[in-house]
Amino acid sequence: MWNRLRVLYSRIGGLFSGRRPAQEFERELESHLAMLIEENLRRGMPPAEAERAARIRLGGLTQLKETNRELRGLPFIETFLQDARYAWRMLRKNPGFTAVAVLTLALGIGANTAIFSVVYAVLLKPLPYAHPEQLVTAFQANTQEGVPEDGVSYPNFEEWRAQNHVFSELAGITAHQLTLTGRGEPSVVDTSVVTPEHFALLDVKPLHGRVFFPAEGKQGAPPVVIISENLWRGTLGADPRILGSSIILDKRPFTVVGIMPAGFRSPFIETKQEVWIPLVQDPLFGSWMARRAGHWLPVFGRLKPGVSIAQAQAEMDAISDRLAREFPAENKGWTVRLVPLQKEIVGDVRTALLVLLGAVGLVLLIACANIANLLLTRATSRSKEIAVRTALGAGRARIIRQLLSETAVLGLLGGIIGIALAYAGVQVLGSLMPENLPRLNPIRVDNFVLAFALVLSAIASVAFGLVPAIFSANSNIQGSLRDGGGRSGESLNRRRARSFLAAAEISLAMVLLVAAGLLLRSFSKLTSVSPGFETHSIVKAEVSLPQFQYSTPPQWIAFSDKLLAQVQAQPGMQDTAVAVPLPIVNGKINLGFDIVGAPPASAAESRLADYASVSPEYLRVMGIPLLAGRFFNQQDILSAPRVSVISKTFAQRYFPNQDPIGKRLNFGFPPNPDVEREIVGIVGDVRDVSLGEAPGPMMYVPFAQVPFWGANLVVKSTLSTSAVAAAIRQEVQNIDRDLPVTDVAKLPDLIDASVSQQRFRTFLLGLFAAMALILAATGIFGVIAYSVACRTNEIGIRLALGASRSAILRMILRETLLLTLAGLLVGIPCALAASHFVGHLLFGVSANDPVTLAAVAFTLAAVAAFAGFLPARRAMRVDPVIALRHE
Amino acid sequence: MPHPKSDILQGTLDLMVLKTLDALGPLHGYGIARRIEQISEEALQINQGTIYASLVRLLQKRWIAGAWGTSDNNRKAKFYSLTKAGRKQLEAQAENWERISGVIGRVLELAARR
Repeated sequence: MWNRLRVLYSRIGGLFSGRRPAQEFERELESHLAMLIEENLRRGMPPAEAERAARIRLGGLTQLKETNRELRGLPFIETFLQDARYAWRMLRKNPGFTAVAVLTLALGIGANTAIFSVVYAVLLKPLPYAHPEQLVTAFQANTQEGVPEDGVSYPNFEEWRAQNHVFSELAGITAHQLTLTGRGEPSVVDTSVVTPEHFALLDVKPLHGRVFFPAEGKQGAPPVVIISENLWRGTLGADPRILGSSIILDKRPFTVVGIMPAGFRSPFIETKQEVWIPLVQDPLFGSWMARRAGHWLPVFGRLKPGVSIAQAQAEMDAISDRLAREFPAENKGWTVRLVPLQKEIVGDVRTALLVLLGAVGLVLLIACANIANLLLTRATSRSKEIAVRTALGAGRARIIRQLLSETAVLGLLGGIIGIALAYAGVQVLGSLMPENLPRLNPIRVDNFVLAFALVLSAIASVAFGLVPAIFSANSNIQGSLRDGGGRSGESLNRRRARSFLAAAEISLAMVLLVAAGLLLRSFSKLTSVSPGFETHSIVKAEVSLPQFQYSTPPQWIAFSDKLLAQVQAQPGMQDTAVAVPLPIVNGKINLGFDIVGAPPASAAESRLADYASVSPEYLRVMGIPLLAGRFFNQQDILSAPRVSVISKTFAQRYFPNQDPIGKRLNFGFPPNPDVEREIVGIVGDVRDVSLGEAPGPMMYVPFAQVPFWGANLVVKSTLSTSAVAAAIRQEVQNIDRDLPVTDVAKLPDLIDASVSQQRFRTFLLGLFAAMALILAATGIFGVIAYSVACRTNEIGIRLALGASRSAILRMILRETLLLTLAGLLVGIPCALAASHFVGHLLFGVSANDPVTLAAVAFTLAAVAAFAGFLPARRAMRVDPVIALRHE
Repeated sequence: MPHPKSDILQGTLDLMVLKTLDALGPLHGYGIARRIEQISEEALQINQGTIYASLVRLLQKRWIAGAWGTSDNNRKAKFYSLTKAGRKQLEAQAENWERISGVIGRVLELAARR
């Protein structure tokens, strides 16, 4: 083994040692020969005879040198290097060809590598936790009510933990924002709220200190916090005595027990993750822990080694059945759904990413077809060279090997530049990438991605090199040698191959263009859809009140009343309101309700509606129309009867052919779920989840009756965003110096941000389709231009025989259009098949949208016709006299 | 690629070169070739150049080392000498060779008796 390695090592060394060893061996042989001659002379031979005999005894010098050279190096590689050197010279002699081929390939490889780096980080690379395959999420689902996945209540979570035998650990995690004070400016920290087992489950070690003890999850435990390295080094100034000291969160001291390394992220939580606190210490969620109703805690677990997800599912089914029997009021109809953590985190981004990967793959394929075409063209003009080589005794395999070496050099160059492009591309992608793309793994060009790029360029160079190489090696020597210029002697096969490649490029480009066109149309529909409210000149800001200081609802109401009045009093403010939650920006809060006096809901009907608590001016600020009755006013306060306003869809779905005004609903936000409220008005529908989701039923309550400890302030103003933000900050500080104002933004920007993933993939796919179009156009141009060049002679004869110039133009254009038509005929069914992959990324457009298909086919035909027109015009202008002398 | 006649022949030549260097100390290619011819009493008729393939192989395995020096009659030549690894290898291979040749001898004897 060692000996073999040593020999290999020495031989590889031999590859790079240049000519020195060969010269040394020559000297050694000379010395040997001289000694033999001396010996022969001593024996009394005449000098000439002595030398002859010596040479015979030593053996053929050339042969010895050759054997020695082969033994010293690696002959296979040496031949390749020789071929590669030759290829390099050939490529340098044709800088135009080389530049086009290398750039085309580099673009293809670069785009593929960049997209693959995203696909790898998001889809393929295991999550950055120990044994990630054991991690699963445990959601509650209720098929009767159409809830695919939801959290679990804490008492149910405790039963799961106590009763199961399939998980080595289960943990709950949710997120919250807390106010950090006492360390410079008050700021909001993104808080992960976890059950103490969370860290042990993920098997992570803190950078300093420790993780939570199980006892710290129990009621009455002292408040403790784990902070992130980033928070420690940033806001906390890398305080070396931080462990054991305390930080103030929501006006309450928490003892710092650990620091998590900067690279660590808990799953699910998309915010920054600056601190972790035990669930029991959270001012909001902590108060919910005793209630069995409600679905708010996302849970994940680690399967015991050897336990399959199906086994775990079976056990959890049994447990949830038991819970449904034991606590039917809260658990009836609710089941448990286990999903591998990675799958859950990736979600529907998977489709979009795979579509993008497929798209860049097609771009590379088109690029390869293009280069293959260029090579075929060149091979035709090189057929004489090949014929000479063959005549001198080069075998077919040897010729193919030489030509493949050339394409390998091309591939390598393209690969290297492509990888450089990919590095740049990943940077650009990183800045374009939507914030909410799940990325527990950082996106970068790492070794695996590099290996992918290299393998890809190797495959690509064989792909575009093999066909021309085989064609060249098969060429008819005699014909090529006899033939003067090597131009008109193009074989029919080769021309067919080139036409086939060009048509294939059209087909592939068609597939990409249709997909991009569909996404583009879908995106324009999506962004032109009306959300049901105005966004123009509306600024929003968030204020949350520390609950240990502002602990009662009257305090929250007093604060919001005061703030609204003071902000409204500033110059330039048209209307000011508060809302929890804000549509699209915050997503939805979904609550069940009952209609007082109506029979209980049937199994098929789910009485669920989205919920918002808003102040009276909300309707005016947001421009939502009042359709019937009244909206809230200043009299709808805590001491007044409870009221509610419903949306149009709510009215139509639950009160068909009735007047809902005056009817009573029973619903409420935890912890007061059963409150009767009279419906006093109906307002227009609002898309509250996303632009792409049709509005569902909504119910509004007055903020003064259902206040919250934090709220969005929405202000309609003629002033600039920064002026409004400054005014809000000023007024908040006037009320309480320790309150931070966060997330100030213009509403239109937030709506834009809500479609960032769609914009991202539409932009990328559009970019790839544009690349495909350009490549296909150059492909067509290349084939037609070459065909015109080959036929110069023929065109000259036609012209001399009286063909009109327009007839020549038509002839060439017909050739172009035939190619294009063939490409389109194959491309349309391919595009239809492929567009189903993008089907559920689409909004408001069908996957077989005929408009898109027709537009793309027309565009392609027009571009191809233009690409063919340029050489056709040249053909038209051929001077018959010159053309006939051409040979 | 050269076409090695057989691994046994190649290995035999390598072993002979090693043994020669072991017996005579540092020696140049001509000296090694002469010595092998003499010992084999001219029975082994090979081109003297053939040993250079053997020398390259042994060099690559680091069983011998080469250095330029001056021969008895003041001629520059490359001298080869046995390395530590080479000496160990020689012992192992010599033993191996004796065992195999013993076995082959017995097999041939057996065949002859029948």
